[in-house]
Amino acid sequence: MRADRLRSLNVPRPVTVVLDENGVPRSVGDATVDVTLEAWRIDDEWWRLPIVRRYVEVVLEGGGRLVLFEDMTTQQWFAQKP
Amino acid sequence: MPQRPTSSLAACVWIPLFPLRCEEARREELATHPTALLAPDLSRKLWQVSPLARRAGVRPGMTVSQAIGLCPTLRLCEPDPVHYDERFARLLAALNEVSPVVEPEELGLAYVGGDGLEGIFGGPEKIVEAIECVVRGSWCVRLGWARGKFASWVAASRAKPGEAVIVPSGGEGKFLAAQPIAVLPLDPDTHRRLRQLGIRTLGALAALPEEAVTAQFGALGRRLWRLAAGHTVEPVVGGVAPEPIVAALTFFTPVGERDLLERALDQLIARALKDPRRIGWRVQAVRLRAEVEGGRSWLADILLKDPTADGARVAAPLKTRLEQAPPAGAVTRLVLELTAFAPGTTELQLFARDAVAAARAGQRRALESAAREIQQRIKRSCLYHVIEVQPWSRLPERRYALIDYEP
Repeated sequence: MRADRLRSLNVPRPVTVVLDENGVPRSVGDATVDVTLEAWRIDDEWWRLPIVRRYVEVVLEGGGRLVLFEDMTTQQWFAQKP
Repeated sequence: MPQRPTSSLAACVWIPLFPLRCEEARREELATHPTALLAPDLSRKLWQVSPLARRAGVRPGMTVSQAIGLCPTLRLCEPDPVHYDERFARLLAALNEVSPVVEPEELGLAYVGGDGLEGIFGGPEKIVEAIECVVRGSWCVRLGWARGKFASWVAASRAKPGEAVIVPSGGEGKFLAAQPIAVLPLDPDTHRRLRQLGIRTLGALAALPEEAVTAQFGALGRRLWRLAAGHTVEPVVGGVAPEPIVAALTFFTPVGERDLLERALDQLIARALKDPRRIGWRVQAVRLRAEVEGGRSWLADILLKDPTADGARVAAPLKTRLEQAPPAGAVTRLVLELTAFAPGTTELQLFARDAVAAARAGQRRALESAAREIQQRIKRSCLYHVIEVQPWSRLPERRYALIDYEP
C-alpha cells in the first residue's frame, strides 16, 4: 500500500438546510426535520486556519437520524457522521 | 529420546531485517523505496523499517500516522509470518547441507555447528565459504565464526555482507575485549548503569573482579561477566529428525474397494501427522504397505517433491498409486510410515507459533487470492484498507482514511 494514496473517510457532504427563525434546521434537502436532538460546537486549529463548526443532530420525518454542521466561516451546511 | 548433537565451534548466520528482506525478495520495487512492515499483532504499529525509511526518521514502534507524517512516500507492508517461516525453514534446510548441527535462534539468525567439518571442507575459512555458497544466492548475509555461540554472534554483528569475521581458536578473549558492551544481551537499564560506571567495552567489564560485578548486578551480572571474558562457551545444539512414525489399520473383513482403502488411508495419515514427534517437522518421504489376502503384499514408496505437513498433499501421490497400480486382491491390513522429514513446517510454523498470528496469516492469504481474482476480473483495484490517521482528532474526517489494498 502507498501512503501517498490516502483518501479521507467520512468527508462532509454539502446539504441544503432551511432554518427556522431561531436558526434551528427545519428541513434538509427534501426531508423535513422532525426533532432536533443535541447541538455542539467545535473550535479547532485557531493557530492556522480556524475551523469553527456548529453541529446539530436531527431526526428526520420517518425516523432517520442525521448529524449536520454549519461551517461558521462560510455559513455552509454539511452532513457528516459524528 | 535420542541425544541432540552439539558443537562448540559455531558459525553465526545473520540476515538483519529478515522479514523485510523476504518482502523485498518478492516485490523488487520495495528495495528502492522507503518501506516499513506492520507488526503482526493488532497494534498496527511499525515492526521493521528499511534503512531508507530510517533515514527519513521513521522508527519501529511508530504509528502509521506518525510514520506517514515523517515520510509521505513510505510503503507499508502487511506482515506475512507464514511466508517468513517458509523462507527461514528453507534457509535452515540449506544450512543442513553443510552441517548436521543447525540451531535456529530467531527469524534470520541461526547457528551452524562447525565441529568435525574441518575434515570435510578444510579450515574455518573454507567452512564459512561453504556456508556462504548455500545461503548467499538471494540474501545479504553476515557471517561470524568463533568458539561458542556468543562470540560467533558478535563476530557476525561486526561482519560486512560477503566479508565474514573469523575469530581464531583461542583468540576469543582478545576479540571480545575490544567490542562495545552493546553486543551483550542487556536490558536498557543495565546498559545505562554500565555506561554510567564508565564501562564501554567487554574488555573493561572483564577487567573487573567477577565477584564485584555479581554483587552489583546479581546473577545477570555474573552471566554478562562470563560472556565478556569469553569464559562461557555455549555450544550449538542441533535438532534430531524423528524416527519413522507408523500408523496401521487391520480390517475385520478384507477390503477390495478403492474408495474404502482411500478413506482408511486418510485416517492413517491424519493419525500419523498428529503424532507429537512430528511437531516441527514436515514429511519428506512416506511408505504405504498393504497385506493382501493369500499372504501377498503391496508397497508404495513416495518421495514428496515439497515436504509438507498437509494431509491432503501427503495422500495425493499415494491415492494416485492406489488408482494406477492397486493391490492385487483384497487388503487385510494397511500400514502407513512417515519415513523421512525436513525441518520446519508451514502449518506449525517455527516462529509465528501463536494461533492468532497463524490464523491472521491464513486470512491474509485468502484475502490476497480474492483480491487478485477481483483485479483480474475487473482490471482495477477496488479494495481498500481502513487505517487510523488521527484517531484523536475532533474533526471526524481526519480520524480514518482509506488506502489502496495491494496484495
